[in-house]
Amino acid sequence: MALLTIRNLHASIGEKEILKGVNLEINRGEVHSIMGPNGNGKSTLAGIIAGNSKYTVTEGEIIYKGKNILDMAVDERAAEGIFLGFQYPVEIPGVSITNFMRTAVNEQRKYRGLDPLSGSEFLKMMEEKKKIVEMTSKLANRSVNEGFSGGEKKKNEIFQMAMLDPTLAILDETDSGLDIDALRIVASGVNKLRRPDNATIVITHYQRLLDYIVPDFVHVLYEGRIVKTGPKELALELESKGYEWIKEELQNN
Amino acid sequence: MEKIVQDFLNIQPQMRKNEVWRFVDFSSLLTEELTLPHGERQTAEYRCNVPDMEALRMVVENGFCHQPASDCGNGVIICSLHDAIKHHPELVNQYLGHCITRPNPYQQLNSEHYTDGIFVYVPKGTSMPQPVQLQSVINAGHGLFLQVRNLVVADEGSHLTLIHCDDSYDSAAAFANNVTEIHVGQDAYVEHYKMQNLNNQTGLLNHTYATLEQGSSFRSVSVTLNGGHIRNHTEVIMQGEHCEVQAHGLYMGDGEQQTDNYIFVDHAFPNCHSRELFKGILDDTARGAFNGHVLVRDGATKTEAYQSNNNILISDKAFINTKPFLEIYNDDVKCSHGSTIGQLDEQALFYIRSRGISLRTARTLLLYAFCDEVLQQIELEPLRNRLIDLVKKRLHGELTLCSDCALHCSSPCNGPEVNFYIDTDKL
Repeated sequence: MALLTIRNLHASIGEKEILKGVNLEINRGEVHSIMGPNGNGKSTLAGIIAGNSKYTVTEGEIIYKGKNILDMAVDERAAEGIFLGFQYPVEIPGVSITNFMRTAVNEQRKYRGLDPLSGSEFLKMMEEKKKIVEMTSKLANRSVNEGFSGGEKKKNEIFQMAMLDPTLAILDETDSGLDIDALRIVASGVNKLRRPDNATIVITHYQRLLDYIVPDFVHVLYEGRIVKTGPKELALELESKGYEWIKEELQNN
Repeated sequence: MEKIVQDFLNIQPQMRKNEVWRFVDFSSLLTEELTLPHGERQTAEYRCNVPDMEALRMVVENGFCHQPASDCGNGVIICSLHDAIKHHPELVNQYLGHCITRPNPYQQLNSEHYTDGIFVYVPKGTSMPQPVQLQSVINAGHGLFLQVRNLVVADEGSHLTLIHCDDSYDSAAAFANNVTEIHVGQDAYVEHYKMQNLNNQTGLLNHTYATLEQGSSFRSVSVTLNGGHIRNHTEVIMQGEHCEVQAHGLYMGDGEQQTDNYIFVDHAFPNCHSRELFKGILDDTARGAFNGHVLVRDGATKTEAYQSNNNILISDKAFINTKPFLEIYNDDVKCSHGSTIGQLDEQALFYIRSRGISLRTARTLLLYAFCDEVLQQIELEPLRNRLIDLVKKRLHGELTLCSDCALHCSSPCNGPEVNFYIDTDKL
């Protein structure tokens, strides 16, 4: 059984229809990349899988681990193992990353019927996971995203992903605003977290990130639909030729 | 009814015609059961356990200070106002009443009838290594009408941190019409931290008058955790160039509580800066008011004055009157003012919940995040940490009057537990 199956998903924001029939299937152990021009629904799709109530699903279904998740609350989906790495992480002044993650880890454990981690267990886990993204202790004690550089924000997203150990991670333009060193750290973090029993969706504009995180499949999301799916070489082709040829291909069909 | 209580009530209708006092109505708290204090003393020991903070503590109990003068050496004087009048009449005569440039009838009532309070004098060039803590406690077992008067003088080039707590120790009704004068000498720096944790039957009209001489700085942060009706009435007058004023406040109200902040900042000289940030969270039918007045006089060039008031209303019936007000009489200034009344940011809520955190916890985190900016203005770290903890408890509904009131933790409690509970489910 696939980990995630999206069938004929239509969604809108206000009166405007953004997704117009998305179909997608993702199995454990796979990395999928979703590419496409701006404003064609990539972030919308990510938000809907995570449960952002800003969007209204008008048709279709999302089956995750055999359950239709459209009626599940955001925090419930997260506790079931869905993680969204934000394109624009939100600042939360006065709440340290440590406290934020402790709250999140323990609330997820509670959902799964597990006892909360003790202070020392939690700190040990933090120390381990901080290494994955080369995060300094100084950063971990700062308020969540407050005054962070673009690179620090994205590192923090991958750190949170490491702490929460999701089954399905969706990374929404994690490469935007990153210099080449930060990109390497963030990508290697994602690769370290890759296992046969989890899956990752990487949303990006550029082939550059895919040099580091090698996808099994590349999808092109255009005008609210996935119009083309191919192997990792498709990303290279898009990089050199742009999206025009896909538009032409669509018109010719 | 006590004559002074009646006098206070008689002043009110006239005062309410004045814009500055428009929303101030203490009638429901000024009842027959209030009597004047006669030096009621309790056996209670008023402790304070802020970790890592050693303060020179003076307790004013039911309007009177029974403590002997604190022996600090170096010419520093910390004693009751009574003792100061007896032993340091020249200093008291020089300063008492002199910070009040715009008298009002409530303050005048205090000036005529105050019982006692504390006196602090920090001489020229002295930096106090320890904070001075004024603990003003109400604990008589019956209703009281109190008028406490404090006088604080920080002479030229000195530094003083003053922690000022107003606490109820029982559940009896009370009303306090208090006046604190703070004189900040040339190049001196005074930090004034006000904590208020009173029971729901108690009203407090807290006048603070500060005068600043050239090159001096004044930082004031008030944290109103609980109380029936609390008005912080603050007037800051800059009497020379290059003064710095930081005046901030955080207030939380639920049930039928009322919190009210008035602040007047007078820029009469060039090159002075002032910044005000007031934030509040109101639930149930709680009411609040913010009235900030910055006056930039003719000739006060290069003035910088910023004023901001932000509110979160949790229920449909909570109410805030907010009036940021700049009055400017010259061109060469940088000033801004603004106020907001809002709810929690949906995008931030989504972000927090997407980590598996429940809606309820996410809301509490964001409410705390809202308060944090004001708490960060407290420079005294142990006090800041303690207040961060108390505000979090307040938001979680875990703060109680007795075991955890603003600073006198672990003291015996003889009243019912007051449960502050902001119900975030209503957001």
